Amino acid sequence: MTPGSGTAAGRLHPFTPLVLTLCVAVIAVAAPDPLTAAALYAVTVLLVVVTGVGRAALRALVPLAPLWLFLFLLHGVLGEGDRVAVMGLSLSRAGLALAVTQACRLGAIATASLALHASFSPARFVDAVADRGWSFSWSYLLVATLQALPRFRARAGAILDAQRSRGLRLRGSPLNRIRAIGPVTFPLLLGALAEVDERGFALETRCAGEVTRRTPLDPPADRAGDRAARWLASAAAVAAVIWRVFG
Amino acid sequence: MSALLFDGVGFTYPGSAAAALHDCSLRAEAGQVTWLTGALGAGTSTALLSAAGLAPRHTGGDRTGLLLTLGLDPALPSSGAALGGRVALVLPSPATQLSGIAETVAQEVAFAPANLGWPRARIQARVAFAMEALQVTHLARRDPGTLSGGEMQRTVIAAMLALEPELWLLDEPTSALDTAGRALVHALMRREAARGAAVVVASEDTDGLHSVAETLIVFTNGRPALRGPPREVLRGEQVWSAGAASTAIAGLARAAGHAAPRPLTVDEGVALWAR
Amino acid sequence: MNARLLALLPAAIAINLVIGGLVNAMGLPLYLDSIGTILATVLAGPAVGILAGAIGQVLFGLINGYQWIPFGLIQVVIAVLAGVAASQGGFRSAGRSVAWGLLTGLVAGALSSIISYVLFKGVTATGTTAVVTLLRQFGLSLPAAVTASSMALDLVDKAVAFLVIGALVRSSPNRMLGRFPRAARAVAR
Repeated sequence: MTPGSGTAAGRLHPFTPLVLTLCVAVIAVAAPDPLTAAALYAVTVLLVVVTGVGRAALRALVPLAPLWLFLFLLHGVLGEGDRVAVMGLSLSRAGLALAVTQACRLGAIATASLALHASFSPARFVDAVADRGWSFSWSYLLVATLQALPRFRARAGAILDAQRSRGLRLRGSPLNRIRAIGPVTFPLLLGALAEVDERGFALETRCAGEVTRRTPLDPPADRAGDRAARWLASAAAVAAVIWRVFG
Repeated sequence: MSALLFDGVGFTYPGSAAAALHDCSLRAEAGQVTWLTGALGAGTSTALLSAAGLAPRHTGGDRTGLLLTLGLDPALPSSGAALGGRVALVLPSPATQLSGIAETVAQEVAFAPANLGWPRARIQARVAFAMEALQVTHLARRDPGTLSGGEMQRTVIAAMLALEPELWLLDEPTSALDTAGRALVHALMRREAARGAAVVVASEDTDGLHSVAETLIVFTNGRPALRGPPREVLRGEQVWSAGAASTAIAGLARAAGHAAPRPLTVDEGVALWAR
Repeated sequence: MNARLLALLPAAIAINLVIGGLVNAMGLPLYLDSIGTILATVLAGPAVGILAGAIGQVLFGLINGYQWIPFGLIQVVIAVLAGVAASQGGFRSAGRSVAWGLLTGLVAGALSSIISYVLFKGVTATGTTAVVTLLRQFGLSLPAAVTASSMALDLVDKAVAFLVIGALVRSSPNRMLGRFPRAARAVAR
């Protein structure tokens, strides 16, 4: 998780990108037609670029491009209903609309998610939660898990390499491979258990899980702009849901 | 009141036939450095974990006898809150003692004081002090996961120093440190004792600690077998039959057939053999 | 939440998310994405297992697509069943572990199909193509074949997961089990 502290997004209050991403997801799911979805996607990309994490919009295109192609082919080319001619191709009008809606929905969600990832700072998040006086245990849990993922992945890779170099056969018959599950998973699990033991000692000694309210070390500023953005986004999300359900 | 009191303490880990500690009696006083040593499995680590209350609260098992840490029984659930931040436990492997959420060394050192809800100004002052004492100030902005073993160990000790503890429980605190690092930690132990804290250290670093501790307690098979001023104990023969070892020079002298009392340092050895 | 749980949960969740990749690198089409949940349950009880499974699934969904988040319900069910198994000494032999794993796989597979159908009006394509092709030879329609192969995969996945955790806990020294009394009960020691 890169702090992204050089960008405007990194200077936002940590709850703002979280709330915004959630609202984008809700609005995306609720968006009923291509125009709304496209507008949402455009607004999302604009926000992301304006806050300095524009690269997220580009990076989102990597998984999106094949999905867009698939949608275009499935609904646009192979769709039913009256056809419309676009650049020499005969495309289904309804299918094209559906494809555009889906594509923009996915685009908005992917862009917002990657922007969130780029601007998330574990320490600022923990400080923001502590500043509000909310339970430290939950924010610790979330952040410690996120920090643990790359560590465990690296360890898993190292174990795999080590076992391979010791001659463990990872290819071949299914029975062979199933037999190899033990030597590959056991070291990771045992290592994790040992770590849990020692870290439990350390966390207890360092008073984690105490009922006292944790002091925020460097509380992030919650500016008027942050609050306004969160309220606006939430209102838009609620409106979108109401519109979709009752409209 | 002693900072740490063991009176006939026994401890058995769950599922273990043999007791890790039995009939263990010792005291550690404020203002002094008490040094525990012994062969592997002799019980020094268990003694420290018991003193911290982690045995049996975390490890399970049965404890018998009287054990008081800063006047409280650490095994009681209520003692956790009462002792929080007053007892510093430092374990041998630094990597697993990291908080897991700090992005910088400074945040890592501030972890415990922040959990205790200290005012920010006090935290900042103690963190700066602790980092300076362990010479990790230049690493303040580094990601703790990228530190070397020695840097990590010093960071973990600094994290405990930030709490200004009344009782230190150190288990092999210098295993990853070079000579300069060890000297740093030894000097820290003396300063903490001078400040009025009780320092208990379990270590096999015989060469380093004989001039640092006031009392040496040698454990054999789960109970203290020898105790006394370090230099006296280490010069004798009993420390060897207790399953522990003395300094390198004393070992050399013993191997060369020299009877107790033996020289402990290079200077003493030179003085002896240059005759 | 006490310090011990704060140490255990991130590890259990990370195991859920990482071990699948490890096994896939071996060419096995298993998820083993509940192995951390089962471990947490055996060590600290179903409540902790539920937390590990639910939080893990939410994180998985945040990384790989929000549509996976509702499947957290399955992790909850797995934790509950693993908890029952543990309290009955269900991990005390390889045979018993597999039996409980198959039962859990059955329930998990059924629930997975139901969630897929209710939320997405169709099946999420998780069945291995080889099994799907085989089933179609027997005249099953494509959706039915995919559902059946997905269920078969769930059976094997959970059986293997229970087997691995059972073997792990049975081979743990008493000293380790003592730190987790529930685990001792799970292997009837």
